Amino acid sequence: MVDSHIVTGFDRDLESVQAHIMKMGGLVEEAILEASKALRERDEELSEKVRQADKAIDALEEVINEEASRIIALRAPTAVDLRVILSVMKIAGNLERIGDYAKNMAKRNTVLVQMTPVEGSRAALGRMAREVQLMLKDALDAYIQRDVELAYEILERDRDIDQMYNALFREFLTFMMEDPRHITPCMHLHFIAKNTERMGDHVTAIAEQVIYLVTGSMPDDARPKGDTTSRDPEMSAPQ
Amino acid sequence: MYDATLENDVSQKDIKIAADNVQVHYGDTHAIKDVSVQIQDKTVTAFIGPSGCGKSTFLRTLNRMNDTIDICRVTGQILLDGEDIYDSKVDPVQLRAKVGMVFQKPNPFPKSIYDNIAYGPRIHGLANSKADLDVIVEKSLRRGAIWNEVKDRLHEPGTGLSGGQQQRLCIARAVATEPEVLLMDEPCSALDPIATAQVEELIDELRTNYSVVIVTHSMQQAARVSQKTAFFHLGNLVEYDDTSKIFTNPTDERTESYITGRIG
Repeated sequence: MVDSHIVTGFDRDLESVQAHIMKMGGLVEEAILEASKALRERDEELSEKVRQADKAIDALEEVINEEASRIIALRAPTAVDLRVILSVMKIAGNLERIGDYAKNMAKRNTVLVQMTPVEGSRAALGRMAREVQLMLKDALDAYIQRDVELAYEILERDRDIDQMYNALFREFLTFMMEDPRHITPCMHLHFIAKNTERMGDHVTAIAEQVIYLVTGSMPDDARPKGDTTSRDPEMSAPQ
Repeated sequence: MYDATLENDVSQKDIKIAADNVQVHYGDTHAIKDVSVQIQDKTVTAFIGPSGCGKSTFLRTLNRMNDTIDICRVTGQILLDGEDIYDSKVDPVQLRAKVGMVFQKPNPFPKSIYDNIAYGPRIHGLANSKADLDVIVEKSLRRGAIWNEVKDRLHEPGTGLSGGQQQRLCIARAVATEPEVLLMDEPCSALDPIATAQVEELIDELRTNYSVVIVTHSMQQAARVSQKTAFFHLGNLVEYDDTSKIFTNPTDERTESYITGRIG
């Protein structure tokens, strides 16, 4: 909607809360990139930086929720304005979770640097994190541009993330069966992979909010599910 | 499975009033342009829209209040329970007993509280005895949610009550003739928030028995009390749908602009 409100303060409030979403999104993108860089380069210092930076993300979520509740109380938003408020609250929640997963990746990395590196998986984990970060960037762009097509595209791309996770799951399983000494690092790496896959789900939820914001209803089709490890008996460890 | 929309689901209700291609002219001014709408029984329908959009004019066509304005001309058809209310055989006075009205400003008669209520039933011959009339007065005041406040002062003047009490007295007066439809033209605009809440609660109770049509400038009031909302703009009925739909995801851009407070 290009028209502005008769009460300009309402526009300022809505712009402010959405600007905070963008700022929060930027910080979360950075957290994903840096946590994944720290993992790749076995950088303990950078890991610590990511863990500290999560505080700012959490604080922004608080700010957004406070602004949203104030707008609800004082402006009684309806129609598209109401959907903006509902969507910023949910998106802030999704971003906060993604930030937490990035922080967790950094935390596990401080343990992993103490151990012998497991070959091969790091590059795949890096690619996966990079793809999630790009999806998040596009989801935030779709939000600002109110671009439903781009949002639907992100829903599709989550399938790739799920497939990357499936491949890593198999790889870690193989490593662990080969040598029990791999179990501890592979457990950590598996959690990192799983958390990155969950980040993708949260990005997908953000894209769904964009669709809701613009159209007034959630996407009809159940979104594509590519993570089959919980259903496929072949995927589980031998008895 | 719990369905949150069930309480307000009015899709199964009967049609009480069917307006078809209604046009209203005041002299040369075309005030209502080809409005067709079906108002459901036992439902609160809200008419919203900017000043001069025709919502009050349209409301007043529903009980022929516009007949009192010489230059006003109404065409099209309005059926109440399938009968044309503009038919020459219809007595407007009888019609208005069936389709009651409550106005913006409380306007009690300069009579006692008792007589304010008893007046309508008396002239319409609804009571055969003083005892009958007492019953009607008490029942109406109870429906108007004001009985407890006035039961000990029934013979004091109605004009001595507070604004909110006067408005509830007027609602009680309107229901005394057992109408089937209650029209309300901004019934709360002269009331404070507490009195407004009492009237809104009353409207919600009234819809178990009546079809209520309310014109309001307060969109939040429309959202709170109605199940159906009609948005009028420049004499056109722009959108008519479930209230929850109108306030969360309206179809027409003009409705969206209006309810979100944008320049339409």
